[in-house]
Amino acid sequence: MKRNNLIPMVVLGLVVQLLYACAGTTSIARVHPEPVQGLVDCAQCHTDRWANLNHRAPDFLAKHGVWGGTRAACASCHQESFCADCHAHKDDLKPSDKYKDAPERALPHRGDYLNQHKIDGRIDPASCLKCHGRQNNEGCKRCHR
Amino acid sequence: MKSHDSWSPPPAGFPTLFRLVGGVTAACALLVAAPALAETTLVSATSTTLFRIGHGDFQDSKNIDTAYEYLRLSVSRSFKDGDSLSLLAGGWLRGDLADKSANDRFTDADLQYGYLSYQRGRNNQVLNAGRQLVTEGVATERMDGLYLRSDLPAGFGAALFLGSPVVTEPNFKADNLVFGGRFTHTQANYYTLGVSALKSYQDSTRYREEEGIDLWLHPVRGVDVTGRSSYNSITEGWMEHSYRASYTPLTQLRLFANLDSINYRDYFFRVTTSALSFTNRLIDPNEKMLALGGGASFAPTDSLTVSADYRHYDYDIAGAADYYGGKLGFANPKYLSCGVAVHRMDGAADRLRYLEYRAYAAKSIGKADLALDLIDVRYDSTLATNQVKDAFTASAAVTYRWSDQLSFGGDLDYSHNPDFDNEVRGLLKLSYAFEAKRAAEGGAK
Ligand code: HEC
Ligand code: HEC
Ligand code: HEC
Ligand code: HEC
Ligand code: HEC
Repeated sequence: MKRNNLIPMVVLGLVVQLLYACAGTTSIARVHPEPVQGLVDCAQCHTDRWANLNHRAPDFLAKHGVWGGTRAACASCHQESFCADCHAHKDDLKPSDKYKDAPERALPHRGDYLNQHKIDGRIDPASCLKCHGRQNNEGCKRCHR
Repeated sequence: MKSHDSWSPPPAGFPTLFRLVGGVTAACALLVAAPALAETTLVSATSTTLFRIGHGDFQDSKNIDTAYEYLRLSVSRSFKDGDSLSLLAGGWLRGDLADKSANDRFTDADLQYGYLSYQRGRNNQVLNAGRQLVTEGVATERMDGLYLRSDLPAGFGAALFLGSPVVTEPNFKADNLVFGGRFTHTQANYYTLGVSALKSYQDSTRYREEEGIDLWLHPVRGVDVTGRSSYNSITEGWMEHSYRASYTPLTQLRLFANLDSINYRDYFFRVTTSALSFTNRLIDPNEKMLALGGGASFAPTDSLTVSADYRHYDYDIAGAADYYGGKLGFANPKYLSCGVAVHRMDGAADRLRYLEYRAYAAKSIGKADLALDLIDVRYDSTLATNQVKDAFTASAAVTYRWSDQLSFGGDLDYSHNPDFDNEVRGLLKLSYAFEAKRAAEGGAK
């Protein structure tokens, strides 16, 4: 088994070396150079492409998925645990229950969600699939068999 | 302590436990080795302990007094050439102090992510091994496996991944091998365009096959478009087209619009939860949805924002619905944030005609943070036999920041709605954050 793991690792290592020789960009900063707090408007400091990621915008949550394709940028401020709070794998607690102290955040499922989910799930069930389609669905089984 | 079903099924010849233990051992070995090259080592860990007190979610429910422990660990070593190696892990443990809360078990645990990451200082090269969330175009997948990305010459970039999907599967058996990749072209001042694909197998059966394009356009200052279209090549149909545009002509004003089109037959293909599968007839495979929306937000000062939004839902089978409303928000993260919002849903069913109100406030007083949140949904007609016409929730939370490391607090939650008369629940929370840094000689920065 160990050997099976090793071969792809070595191949990947070689590929990395090859690529390293060709391109010539500097990686995105690993740690964001300025500390920020709360939902920030990136345009307060940025005029480059990052200015668009205004975290306060009403459509920010709807857009962050595509920006998430440039994960290194998010990683300069967010650890994976931050994403996992909402993009849970198998969790018991609603994101809004974990952070009752942050009502300004757009955390999924405010209020009594067992009631409201019948409405949201009817209007746009596709929006649930992103988090409950293949993961985070043990609770659903209790009622939807 | 880890019960077996909290893991995804290990694919044949690739036992998950071994892989994880192996990964962690290798990580530690690598992190301890090569001290000569290391510039700094940063260790950070957070522990959050939660106690949930009160009844469960259901009418017949038992007392749920449950303790949760969320642990997060990051050990990261940076080298002189700008490269770094990190071990990142996060997971939770649960213990029921009264009745069993779920799955007929008193304890449960889960590893949400746990991987070793090697990042190079050049070309945005990353190699990750372990349990991670991959977000590359059509793939938003949690998997146990390998992920590799790099910039290529002339603005191109590529990402590849291979692993075993981490799915919770209460109803259907799922896939056990997934792989795919994304190829991008970026012009940092104008755009990022991507093409991506994902393939998965359940043993030797084709399970999922998805291809897609994604884009992020920001051609001139203030204009930003993001979007994705994905195609299911097993059902041979488009799953989704999802596009969002925003225009910020002035720093204070933002206009936005969005479009989502979903073909249920292709989109809900092979989900592992019955609530969202075709089997229990809540989801009709012949349904198609088109949602169009837009709005504007205006921020006269740095802290104040007024916004209005509108969304129209159109279906092939179900009746259409409109959702619209507005919000007034004030945010100054250092001492106060508050807001009020009102929305109206106008749909074809009784359940889809209501007014929704929300008011919240969060304020810091010295070392204490207070938060209050009120939500009321008023239906036009009664939905249940008990004549209750609204769903109301009030919650209040207090957090005390003892020091930079330690904080504790609690919250109380009251709700009444057509399903439950009066429900009160509480939660206690204790967080501890640990951080340590060791800089090697000459590595001061
Ligand atoms: C307080 C000012 C400030 C705010 C607010 C701010 N940034 Fe930055 N950011 C900087 C500075 C300064 C740099 C370093 C110079 C640079 O690369 O532009 C930087 C660098 C970055 C980088 C690294 C760029 C690279 O190529 O290494 C990213 C990514 C980034 N910021 C994203 C964001 C995002 C997203 C937001 C909003 C959530 C944000 N920033 C908010 C000041 C800020
Ligand atoms: C506040 C909760 C929350 C947090 C935190 C969060 N997300 Fe999301 N994410 C969502 C929601 C809600 C959606 C669905 C948005 C939509 O399409 O309208 C989503 C969608 C996505 C998608 C697209 C999924 C798909 O199938 O279309 C990606 C990718 C994504 N998020 C990545 C991330 C990453 C990376 C992070 C961490 C930096 C993160 N998210 C943090 C709530 C969150
Ligand atoms: C400059 C630092 C910075 C960068 C870069 C950054 N964020 Fe954030 N983000 C924040 C802060 C600060 C918060 C507020 C967190 C909190 O209040 O606990 C936040 C919150 C969020 C939220 C939650 C919003 C809500 O209403 O709850 C999401 C989702 C998110 N970020 C996604 C992303 C994604 C995806 C990226 C990369 C494309 C990214 N962020 C890059 C600083 C940043
Ligand atoms: C951004 C990810 C995300 C999205 C999108 C999302 N959920 Fe959730 N949801 C969660 C998480 C995390 C939990 C907490 C874990 C749990 O209870 O399963 C949760 C919990 C729930 C619960 C249990 C609530 C309770 O009080 O026990 C229901 C019901 C639910 N979601 C339904 C839905 C429906 C219906 C949709 C679509 C309209 C949806 N969710 C969309 C992440 C999400
Ligand atoms: C407490 C029981 C309960 C739990 C737990 C529960 N649901 Fe539901 N759900 C219901 C009921 C009742 C309805 C209304 C069904 C109807 O109208 O036929 C509903 C409706 C829905 C609908 C809308 C169907 C429609 O078209 O009207 C979706 C989608 C849905 N649930 C998804 C979920 C998901 C996803 C989860 C788990 C995260 C979940 N539910 C957990 C009881 C529950």
